[in-house]
Amino acid sequence: MDPLLMIGAVTAAGVLIGGGVHFIPVGGAPAAIATATGVGTGTAMLAAGSGMTGLITAAAMTGQPLWLILASGAVGSMLMIGVTMLVGNWVYVWGVGTVPVSAKVDTDPITKYPQEKYVTPGTEGHGIPTVCYVSGIIGGLLGGIGGGLAYWAVYESLVTLPAYAPLVSGQTSVAAAMVAGMFALGLFFVNAVIASYNIGGTIEGFHDPKFKRIPKGVLACLLASIVTGLIGVLLLKGGVF
Amino acid sequence: MSVAGGGGGESAVDPKMTAGIGIVGGLIGIYLTPINPVLGPLLAALGAVCAIVWGADAIARVASYGLGTGVPSIGYMSLAVGVIGTLAGLAGGIMMGSAYTMLAPLLGVVLAVILGGVIAIIAKKIVGMKIPVLVTGTMELTGAAAISVLGFSAAIAGSYAMAPILKSVVATGFIGLLFILNTMAIQHPFNACLGPQEDRTRTLKLAASTGFMAMAIVGLLGMGSSKAWWVISIIGALAWFISMRMFLQASKEDAASVAWSGMWPKEEEH
Repeated sequence: MDPLLMIGAVTAAGVLIGGGVHFIPVGGAPAAIATATGVGTGTAMLAAGSGMTGLITAAAMTGQPLWLILASGAVGSMLMIGVTMLVGNWVYVWGVGTVPVSAKVDTDPITKYPQEKYVTPGTEGHGIPTVCYVSGIIGGLLGGIGGGLAYWAVYESLVTLPAYAPLVSGQTSVAAAMVAGMFALGLFFVNAVIASYNIGGTIEGFHDPKFKRIPKGVLACLLASIVTGLIGVLLLKGGVF
Repeated sequence: MSVAGGGGGESAVDPKMTAGIGIVGGLIGIYLTPINPVLGPLLAALGAVCAIVWGADAIARVASYGLGTGVPSIGYMSLAVGVIGTLAGLAGGIMMGSAYTMLAPLLGVVLAVILGGVIAIIAKKIVGMKIPVLVTGTMELTGAAAISVLGFSAAIAGSYAMAPILKSVVATGFIGLLFILNTMAIQHPFNACLGPQEDRTRTLKLAASTGFMAMAIVGLLGMGSSKAWWVISIIGALAWFISMRMFLQASKEDAASVAWSGMWPKEEEH
């Protein structure tokens, strides 16, 4: 594959990942004690969970057409973030005993349920209400597509080189898959953390006022991904030993 | 002492000293890998532990300002950059020709530091992070991450060249384990010790213990590819035991000063 095409694919992937993080309801430490809406952990953990699952499912489709790799990555990420939010909600509802509710909006934009009455005074909501759940699934979709795209671009570039050629032609090259997987994982973490700096640690989803910062976050991820892609080209240039 | 969110503050340990230990110790360890099939990988693993201690000090200096995203996030990011830089540097070293294979690890570290610096500048200029030491701190952190990954990879593979590392570290999937293992070793010490009365000497004792614990596991990973695996594992486990004991004693001493003389006075009462 042309190195320029790889840089382009990696950049697009980084933008998708960075944009996707803005949709995920990251609650951070306040959510861990059920005083804020979202999943009670940081972006890095959610990115590790859903990103790695997406990469594994995308890598399972190695050698298939591009759309299948992207769809597989997206489904993996969406499933993982969906399960995380669902089980988190069980803990908030039956364990802590709070109603999934957002303090950022008066009525849930999707279900139109009133929110304000159910927010415990002094807190910023609890659990993962419907709008946050839908937003999180969209975030998983974007992140999974991004991770799959980066994996596909690096793998397809590497596998044509003699050092990474598969042992039996037509089969998967394990070394190329691992290098591509690590590169995509690294790209995932870099963009997830930059996006997380942009949102200041916590966000509820696309209805959160902080979501308006997304252009700045996407620009930052774009620049960081271009530089990462440029360094990634060295992987291809050195693969001819 | 330094308080998370307060930032700055006097550190009990000179940053130049930990940086020196990390850079010099780490690179010497990696470059001495070929001298002997047993001693070389052991030195590489010890070099990686030096880098982990440096990384733990760097993360403490950056994260004491309060990142808003938690300490682990910057740890994961630095290891992501470190792994990308290491792989690209090792591969890029081959491009320059076999005479320059020597330069490959150094190139990996330099690439990681450059990428870390670029990300920190982006975070500062575009995102608007207000941490004064963000750029230098992230550069140190990514450098430490790259050296620690290189050191442990060399310890497993028994060489710092791309081909053996690709065969016994990357293709086996151990690189993914190193990613998380080194992240934990670098970010956990400050994450566990932060807060008022954080004593950097005590934090770095914990960093040494997490680093040696990682080294003991890395020794086991090298079972199939390195003759030195049991030496690395046993020395790592012994050093882990000693450093963990030192950390526990330091924690008990600091706890005793509170137990015997009461809680420290509040800021207003000075």
